[in-house]
Formats: sequence, C-alpha cells, structure tokens
Amino acid sequence: MIKQFFTLAIRSLLKDKIFSLINLTNLVVGFATFILLTLFIIGQFNWDTQNTKYDQIYKLQLFRDQEENAQKHSWNIPPALSRNDLLKIPEIEKVALLHDAGDNNKSGIFLSVDKRNQVLTRFGYFSDPSIFDILTFKFLEGDPKTALLQPYSIALSKSVADKLFPKGKAIGKQVYGENKVVFTVTGVYTDIPLQSSWVPSYLLSMNSFAPITQFKDFEQSYYDNSFYTYVLLKENADPASVDKKIHGALKNYQKSHYPYLRPMSHLHLNPFYDNSIYVVLALFSFIALLILVLSSINFINLQTANASTRIREIGIKKTVGFTKRNLLTQFVLESVFITMVSGVIALVVAQLFLPVFNNIVGAELFSNILTDWKIIGIVLPVSFLTGLLSGLYPAFVISAYNPIKALKQRYLQNDSNGISLKNILVTVQFSISLFLLIVSFIIFKQTDFMMHSDLGFNSKNLAYANITTNKKGSFDLIRQRLIQHPEITDACYSDYIPYVLPGGRDINWEGAPADERVFVRYYNVSYDFFSTFGIKIKEGRPFSRAFPADANKCLINETAVKVFNWKNPIGHHMRIDENDYEVIGIIRDYIFQSFHNPQEPHFYRLLNNDTVSLNGIFTVRFTQGTEKKALQIIKSEFEQTFPDDAFEFSDFQLLVLNENALRYWQIFRNISIFFAILSIIISSIGLFGLVMFFTKRKMKEIGIRKVFGFSMGSLYITMSKGFMKLLLISIVIAWPLAFYIYKTLPGAHKYPIQVNEFVVATLIILAVAVVTISYQIIKASKMNPVDVLKDE
Amino acid sequence: MIRTVNLSKIFHADEIETTALENINFQVKEGEFVAIMGPSGCGKSTLLNILGLLDNPNGGQYFFNGNEISHYSERQRTDLRKGNIGFVFQNFNLIDELSVFENVELPLLALKVKSSERKARVNEILEKMNIGHRRKHFPGQLSGGQQQRVAIARAVITNPGLILADEPTGNLDSANGEQVIQLLEKLNEEKTTIVMVTHSQDHAARAHRIVNLFDGHIVNEKIERKIISIGTPRLMSL
Repeated sequence: MIKQFFTLAIRSLLKDKIFSLINLTNLVVGFATFILLTLFIIGQFNWDTQNTKYDQIYKLQLFRDQEENAQKHSWNIPPALSRNDLLKIPEIEKVALLHDAGDNNKSGIFLSVDKRNQVLTRFGYFSDPSIFDILTFKFLEGDPKTALLQPYSIALSKSVADKLFPKGKAIGKQVYGENKVVFTVTGVYTDIPLQSSWVPSYLLSMNSFAPITQFKDFEQSYYDNSFYTYVLLKENADPASVDKKIHGALKNYQKSHYPYLRPMSHLHLNPFYDNSIYVVLALFSFIALLILVLSSINFINLQTANASTRIREIGIKKTVGFTKRNLLTQFVLESVFITMVSGVIALVVAQLFLPVFNNIVGAELFSNILTDWKIIGIVLPVSFLTGLLSGLYPAFVISAYNPIKALKQRYLQNDSNGISLKNILVTVQFSISLFLLIVSFIIFKQTDFMMHSDLGFNSKNLAYANITTNKKGSFDLIRQRLIQHPEITDACYSDYIPYVLPGGRDINWEGAPADERVFVRYYNVSYDFFSTFGIKIKEGRPFSRAFPADANKCLINETAVKVFNWKNPIGHHMRIDENDYEVIGIIRDYIFQSFHNPQEPHFYRLLNNDTVSLNGIFTVRFTQGTEKKALQIIKSEFEQTFPDDAFEFSDFQLLVLNENALRYWQIFRNISIFFAILSIIISSIGLFGLVMFFTKRKMKEIGIRKVFGFSMGSLYITMSKGFMKLLLISIVIAWPLAFYIYKTLPGAHKYPIQVNEFVVATLIILAVAVVTISYQIIKASKMNPVDVLKDE
Repeated sequence: MIRTVNLSKIFHADEIETTALENINFQVKEGEFVAIMGPSGCGKSTLLNILGLLDNPNGGQYFFNGNEISHYSERQRTDLRKGNIGFVFQNFNLIDELSVFENVELPLLALKVKSSERKARVNEILEKMNIGHRRKHFPGQLSGGQQQRVAIARAVITNPGLILADEPTGNLDSANGEQVIQLLEKLNEEKTTIVMVTHSQDHAARAHRIVNLFDGHIVNEKIERKIISIGTPRLMSL
C-alpha cells in the first residue's frame, strides 16, 4: 500500500508540473533560509572551539568601580597582578601576559624584510611563551616550546609569513619592525580561524617588550591598564572561587576594581555581561522560525488546494473500501515525502548559496553542509515534522470528504462559512510576511541611520595615518607646509582620535569626596585638533597659540561636566599625572567609539611643546572632491618630513564604517535585506497557492457569473474582497509586533521610527496580493463556464 | 440479501428539506439481477448509495445479509463494504494517475492482499475482461468501453456478492453498452447479485426484475424473467 501511496504521490507531482514546482520552491526556499540562519546562529556559539582546552581557558578582565557593570568594563589587567599573584593561586595552571605590539586600535605597524617593501600589519602582540600551552596553535615552521623564549623573536601567522616571504621558508630570517627593530622569525603558525575572539597575526616575545618600549619595570605595575591576560585553570577548578582570590590580591592596590575570569565560551558573544547580542540572535532565531512557519502555511494551503483536484481519487478509494484512516495516512505520508525531498534539496541549495551567505554575514560559517551531521541532524527532523504537521490539516479535510460528493464534483466546494481555519492561516501568513518586511525595514533604517547620522563631528574629507618615528620636531612646521595647498584646509596631531580609543585613569575631581574616583579618557592633542575634526566648543575656547600658558590648561566634554556636577566648569582644575590643569573650554559630546557605547568623561590637554614624538596620529582635512590630489600632496609632504618611516594615509570614513558595532549592524542589515527578499518570495508563493485554492473553490460561482455576463471587474472585487479583509486584520497584528521589536532593539542611539516603514511594507504585500489575484482572475476568466457547470 | 423496511432519506440544505426516498420497501435476493428505473431526480442514485453503504438513511431499516445496518458508523460501513460490494459508475471513475493494473488492484490493497496474490488475481481478471494487453496503459489512453471494462474488473476483483451499477452504459455507444450488459449478465450467471440503475428500457429488460421509482417512492415492480438460480449465500470472505 505504501508503494502505491508513493506512486500516486510522485505521479500527482508530475501531473501538474508548475504547481509542483511552486510547492517545492516554497519549501526549498523556506528550508534553505532556515538552514542558513541556523548555521549563522550555531556559528555564533561555535567560536574559539579550535582550542583543545576550550573549557579551561579564561580571559582575565575587570570591572571598574563595581561588579558586573557592563559599561565600565576593561579587558586590561595590571601586569603585576599576572606576574606576581596569579600563579600563587593553586587552581591556576598557566598564565600568559600579552600586550599590543604598536597600538592595535590604530592602523597597525609596518613589517618589512628589506626596509623598503612595507607590510602594514594589525593585530600583533607581545606574548609570554605560555600562550602556546593555553591556546591551540598549529605550527608549520619552528617549535612552539621555544618560539617565544629569546628576546626579539617573532612568530608569524601563515598569511603574514606569505606576504613577507612569498618564496621559501621564513624561519631563521630577519624582519624589521617599523624599520627600527630587528626580529628573528622563530615560528610560523596556521592562521587563527576567523571565528575566534582573538586573532593574532604575529607574536613577539614578551621579554623584548621592556627594551623596545622603554617600560622597564612594567612587571611591578599594579596601575597600568594596557596588558591582557589569558589563564588556564586546572580541570574542575571553580572560577568563582578563583575570582575571589584574584580580587583579594588586587584590592590592596586597586580597591574598587573587580577582576574576574571570563570563560572562553563567552568571549565572542558576551564578553562583558552585556546581553544585547542575544537580543539580536533571538530575533534572528525567531525570524528563522517564522520563515519556516510561513513556508509551512504556504505548504498547507497549496496541498489543500491541490487535494481539491484529487477528490475523485478520494471518492473511488473510499468506495472500494479504503478507510478514512488509510487516506489520512496516505496524505500525511505524501506531505512528509514532499517535505523530506525538499529538505534534502534545500541542503544542496544552502550549500550552493553558502559562499554568498558567508559574504553577506562577513564570516566563514561552514564549508560543507552536506557532510555536517549536526546540520543534517537538525534539517531532516525539521522537514519531517513540517511534513507531518502541515500534512495533517489537508489530509484531514480531504479524507473527511463525502465519497458521493467526491465522485460527482470536479472541484471541492466552499462549504465553510464564518471563521474557517483557512482564514486563520491566511491571516497568520499575511501577518508574518508583513512583520518580516517591517522588521527588515527597521533594521535597514537603523543601520543606515548609524552610518549616516551626525556623529557630533565631521567625519568626512579626513585622512589619517599613524606614524612611529624617532624624529622629533614641531608639528606646526608640518602643518604650515600642508595648509599652503588649497586642497588642504586643516591638520592636527594627537595620540588618539575619534574611533581610536585611548586609555585613561580613575581620577578624583574638584569637589568630589576624597575616596571617589571616576574613569576619564585622556587625549593629548595639537592646537587644531578640534577644528580639524569639527568638534564643537560648547563653552569657553579651544587651545590657542595666542595663549602661551595653554600647556597647563585643558578642555573636557559635556559628560565630564555632568559627572563632576560642576555648575560653572570654566576655571575649575583637574589634577592629572601630578600636574594641575585649568579648564578653559567644554566640548560637545561626540560619538567617540561606537554608537552603542554610552558617553564617558573626556580630558584633552595640549601635546607637550607641540612636538611630534615616538607614536602619534596625523589627521588632515581636505576640501570636498579633492581627495585624490590631497592624498598625493599629503604623501609627498610626509615623505619629505619622515623619509625613514613607514606610513599610510587612510580615509577616516573607513574607520567609522569598520567600527565593530557598526560592522555587526551592517551584517544585520545585509541579513535583513536577505530576509525581506525571501519573505516577499515566500509570501508570493503562498498567496499564489491561496488564491488558487480560493479560485478553485469559487469556480462554480465564477462560472455562473460568467454565464450571466458579469464583468471581469466584478469578478475581481468578489475574489479580492475576502483577502483585503484578512490583510486588514494582519495589519492590526503585525504593526504593533514590529513596533515592539523596534523598542527592544539594543543600542543607545535609535533612529526615530516613521510610519513609512509600516505603510511601504503593507503596500508591498498588497501589491503581491493584487498581482497574484489578477493572474488567477485572468486564468479563471479564460475558463469555459460550461466545463464547471455541467459537472453539477 | 438486501431488504429495506420503510427506508427514507431526507436532504437538508439550509432551511430547505428535500425528501429523496420515502418508505422504500425493497428486497433483492441472492443471485438476482435487478434494474432500477425512473426519471431524473426520483431517488435512484440515492437508493443505490444507501444500498452500497456509501450513505446512511434517515429512517427505516436496512438489512444486509440479515443484519440491520442503517445505524452503522462510517468505519463499520467501510469495513462491510470492503470486498463485499463492487461499484460500477456511469463515468467510470478511474484514477487518472494510476495504470489499468493499479486501478484494478486498488480494492485488493484496501483488503491488504499480498503482492504476489494481487498480481495473479489482477492479471486473471484483466484477461477475463479482455483488457490484459492494456494493463500498463493509463485511463486517458483507453476508449470509453475499455475504461468501463476496467471499472468492472475493479468492481469484481474481490469477488463481491453484490455489484451496484449506476447507469453503467450511460456514457457508452450502443455496441460498447451491449458488451457491458453482457459482462454483467455473465457475472450474474456466476451467481453475483446485481443492482443496476439505468435509463435504458432495453438494458433494464435484461434484468430479472425492474423496480420503478417516482418521487422517492416505488411505483411498481415488474418481473422480467425467472430467477435462474438461488445459490447458497456466497459472500466471499477473503
């Protein structure tokens, strides 16, 4: 009997090929989307898993001021704590101290083999050799046990090694850092997978840190906040009790700081007890589920519509003695068969689209879905369940059909009135499509808002470069030369700039209780920093060459004034690094790091004697439309000034666009566009099926109307009236839900929502409905009414 | 074999009641060939549907092989129908997506007959109906007469005691119609009870007895010829 079920199922599929194609496309698109989204979501939870000791690895981080305050987090740990105290804690097996090589917040440092062909490389770190005992590195050349033992050793990732040494081995060769320091290559490791919370492109031995940076006694500093620490706990150690011991060790020096071990499993998604990423992932999971539901509803409608053409088969089968249960089984099995086939096709389709999707989400999710049992293990049961659940309703409707009627009619008649399951399904389908479209628009607009909205300074027409040099001299001389060119309007020099995050200190301020401290970020800037960036002065004045005493003055931002609670901030004093600075101006707050981070107090002081020193950032503002020429001028001027130093000017706008949170939002935006297109496709398919179902049921009515000479227009109104009513109900459901999603989206800066998003999405759904209905009406109008009526 | 006592059937559509059958007292003996005649809408098909256990009456009693079954549930009716009653329709009612062989095989599938036995029986009946050479064809590829022979093959494949034929020649030309009537006669000679609804006087005359219906009532019965034989009850149990 089963064989006969399948014979019939396959022959029915082949009989109406267009219908079957629509039916399969709906399921395949739905499943493939579900698979890709599942991959994306699973992928987010699979970071860092290449590490064999994954469960024992922790990063030591700290909260300033209080426990679990996500807004005052830091991943920097005083180095003395790691050097002196951690290894005394019995649960700790290994500790690795790390420090940025150069400043990884900035553009990176230049590596070269011959002092000429420079490779600008970001994400290099000074590291203890123990890092190889904690994290898993695969060495292609050299030995991890010895690679970072000697001073001036460098271990390169394969991609950096390939750039520096395109031919032959790298081991034993020499590499120049910024043309100033010579390192010997002691190892080459395979690139760290992109799905890692820490992706070092090269590692320098930690014992070269002090000689290179001149920071000699760093290992005794309990106040420096620029080192990172990875910790390997012994098996079954309790991190909470270790946290207490670490806090106990630090509290003699930094009472208000709470160091804690963050497990590797949280480093990607939630490093600082901030759940906002989960909101987005939950939203995506929800959307994945909705798309599946949408496909299933379409499938139910299409199956029911199709079944109405098979009522003769049902009549005959019932007549010859097949029971209702036999038929129920047959139609459910048929549904399961179709969904399982679609599930398998969807796996192949998802595999084919994987490169595109990887591109959309900016990650390498999985390379081969078809051999990944985890994915197959999800997809096949999901397809089975979809088939089973979606098959039940049509099977029930069909198998309950009276055999006498079934044998007489060609089409299933509409004998339900009022609230039918069909109407509920249509409403749910409309609601989901509408909801998905509106949410896509909201995410799109939010990303757009963040990319284009006012940052509080002018981020356009700026070029910047980080230069490390031994040459010292007045920045003003360079600036004068630059602004002689009409293309260049302003230039400044500073240790940090917007979107390159500086460190800072916990300070006490005028008028505060003696033991109260607050974290303030420091910027050392040249005279023209504020004018170059277009940062607005709210009160007082910026630094000026006309006031020689400005070296002892400072500016602070609005947030600092608020935090310090100063009524008249001008004239107040700040005590920083044992020096006293008088506040001469208040700047307006600007987005200094990311849209999602709240404002923090800032402190700006004039660069020491206006001199260019070891490491700093040059920023140049050029006039609109002269970017190419301006960059040539800048390059040649800087080459003359710094002939021995490597540098590269970049568009400041890239810094804004590549900012982490914004990058995430861009991924979200891409995924949303993907969803929006898919939800329109799936909705169209669904509507097509629905209208077909509806028209088939109304065939008799259409036939009679045609016989009596009704126009196409009146047919149109008859057929669309019901759908429009359901669309109205869907608006009532989908609009508030989508608004709720807007409300729950994470982030401090939200775009002001408009009714447009809702109206446009509704119009799109309406257009899809109108087009589909029109198609079916034209089809129905070509039908000969006699064909329908003679069966009655 | 079949006996009805005051059988009635009323159809309800919204607020309109239509009486299709009223106080039908009717009997068919084992091995009989009965024709039912009457104008359109007189209740012929309704009676046949009730006799064939496709529908339940609203009132009266229906004895099938001595058992009163008018109150049977759909499930019980299906079980009783299975293998015991064969149907032949005016429009053949073959499943377009199934081949001749598969269409005829259908009732055996409902009875869960083993594959090898199914094959043997279907082939045998197809040969008997002189349609064996078309076993792999689909209904759309056959003439009307051939389709009706396939439908009859399907009706008799389970050796049912009773065949109900609803205007079996209505869609056929006279030659093909004659062939079908001959087939039915042959089956009747083999002791299968047959109840046939027809509009054709000629075909009705070939039955043992004609029952005339008018507006849901039996108006007269006419015995055409003697019942040839009354065998022992032979409801086939498979």
